[in-house]
Amino acid sequence: MLDRSTLLRVERLRKVYESANGPVEAIGDINFTMHAGELVCIVGPSGCGKTTLLKCLAGLLRPTSGLVEMHGSPVTGPSPAMAVVFQEYGRSLYPWLTVRGNVELPLRHKKLSRAEREKLVTDALEAVGLGHAARSHPWQLSGGMQQRVAIARAIAYQPEVMIMDEPFAAVDAQTRADLEDLVRELHATRNMSILFVTHDIDESVYLGERVLVLSKSPTWVQEDLAVDLPAERDQITTRALPRFTELRTHVYDQIQRAKRGDAVAAQPAH
Amino acid sequence: MTAQTSRITMTRRGRGVGSRIVGSFLYAFGLPFLLLVVWAVAATRSTNRFFPDPLTIFRAFVDTWIGPAFVEDVLPSLYRLGLGILASIVVGVAAGTVIGLVRWLRELLEPLLEFFRAIPPPVLIPVVMLLIGITDTMKVVVIVSGAIWPILLNTIEGVRATDSVMTETANSFRLTWWERLRFLVLPAASPRIMAGVRQGLSVALILMVISEMFASSSGLGYRIAYFQRNYLIAEMWSGVLLLGLVGVFLAVAFGLVERRVLRWYHGLREVSRA
Repeated sequence: MLDRSTLLRVERLRKVYESANGPVEAIGDINFTMHAGELVCIVGPSGCGKTTLLKCLAGLLRPTSGLVEMHGSPVTGPSPAMAVVFQEYGRSLYPWLTVRGNVELPLRHKKLSRAEREKLVTDALEAVGLGHAARSHPWQLSGGMQQRVAIARAIAYQPEVMIMDEPFAAVDAQTRADLEDLVRELHATRNMSILFVTHDIDESVYLGERVLVLSKSPTWVQEDLAVDLPAERDQITTRALPRFTELRTHVYDQIQRAKRGDAVAAQPAH
Repeated sequence: MTAQTSRITMTRRGRGVGSRIVGSFLYAFGLPFLLLVVWAVAATRSTNRFFPDPLTIFRAFVDTWIGPAFVEDVLPSLYRLGLGILASIVVGVAAGTVIGLVRWLRELLEPLLEFFRAIPPPVLIPVVMLLIGITDTMKVVVIVSGAIWPILLNTIEGVRATDSVMTETANSFRLTWWERLRFLVLPAASPRIMAGVRQGLSVALILMVISEMFASSSGLGYRIAYFQRNYLIAEMWSGVLLLGLVGVFLAVAFGLVERRVLRWYHGLREVSRA
């Protein structure tokens, strides 16, 4: 059942936090697989443990039980095959480094020649449309541009999957639309595998090829929905498609059910 | 596709450069000049011989310090001061980084450090004198024993307060131990470290003078105490003046270094205030 293109496999993932008032079960039982080259969105009601899930996937947090596998080998810590784009770009970029310095930092310990490194950085900055801002400091840029820098840093790292944690939650709506199109473009032109966590239903449907709807905490995958919208998407026409409206209504209903907690745990098929 | 590019530039518009320089010159030196005039007038009317007029002191300054005394007294003092400051910064930042990073060490040492910090450093002079003898090393040790505390404690605090998302970023990109130190921990702590160094500098200057007054055969502190005992009043005052100048020099040098090291920090603050 492990076909060659399976990139990420999550099985029976469970996370329980110990707190002063006894254990809190954040993640109940999460199962899903992601294939290479896919763009998967994870959406769920607020407080459903999205960030916990993401940290477990990225190896930043140890799950209580269960398995995260990357190309068939278990993820036990931060992996060079993953790059994370955090929501708080202001705290994820280092203000004492220039834009170029920030993008270059994770490459320093990779065995690359200076020329290769420079090329990766320049290429990544071009890809997010910031080739001209390399010598600025992050705080000299607008919020949207700072998040582009964080994305460039992830691209330059050449991961097999880019994990994005509500990356556009803190930028204004217009910037957000531009950044969404950037993600679609990176996926299409560079064939990047992207796991995109969001609380925005429209965003998940607009971006994703698949949408995983999470239940409320303790979390399981309530629905694994294939988004059958055309691959070529744009903000005006795609969002006006009747199918887009159907899908977003469907996801919206699922989230409402998740909030009420009347959805039954879907048992994994295998 | 619409990467709007708004680099925030930080130039102030306003009056011409020339008049700004004249203006800040007047601000910087206006009050000192006025005080000198008041002093001169007061001194000529007073009969107190311990209170000479500025011109006498200025003449004594030239006669006393420009010449062999510069080599015999000023340079040794500056040497001890420089060495003491350097040692305080190196040891303070190194130890502070380790203590700030290792939680159990921090909890173990913090009460002890607060105690040592609370001891007024001059009382250590007799102790250190007995332990090390009357040497240059003793003076450097005394300077370090006072100047290191603000640097050490500020470094600990700065290192401890490294932002959690920044640390998580370093984790996720698997930065090496050295990269974390060089590109995350030290720069993140640098505003606090610099604040500590600023306090340490003034403590160091005070301790340099006191340690030389206690036990020495050279140095500014020794010379000032010597003049005072021998009723060389104008010379004594000129020494005080020289110490003040050394202090100003330290502050200016620190300001230049700080502006360079913390350029990002001041820029960031200016942007977030706007």
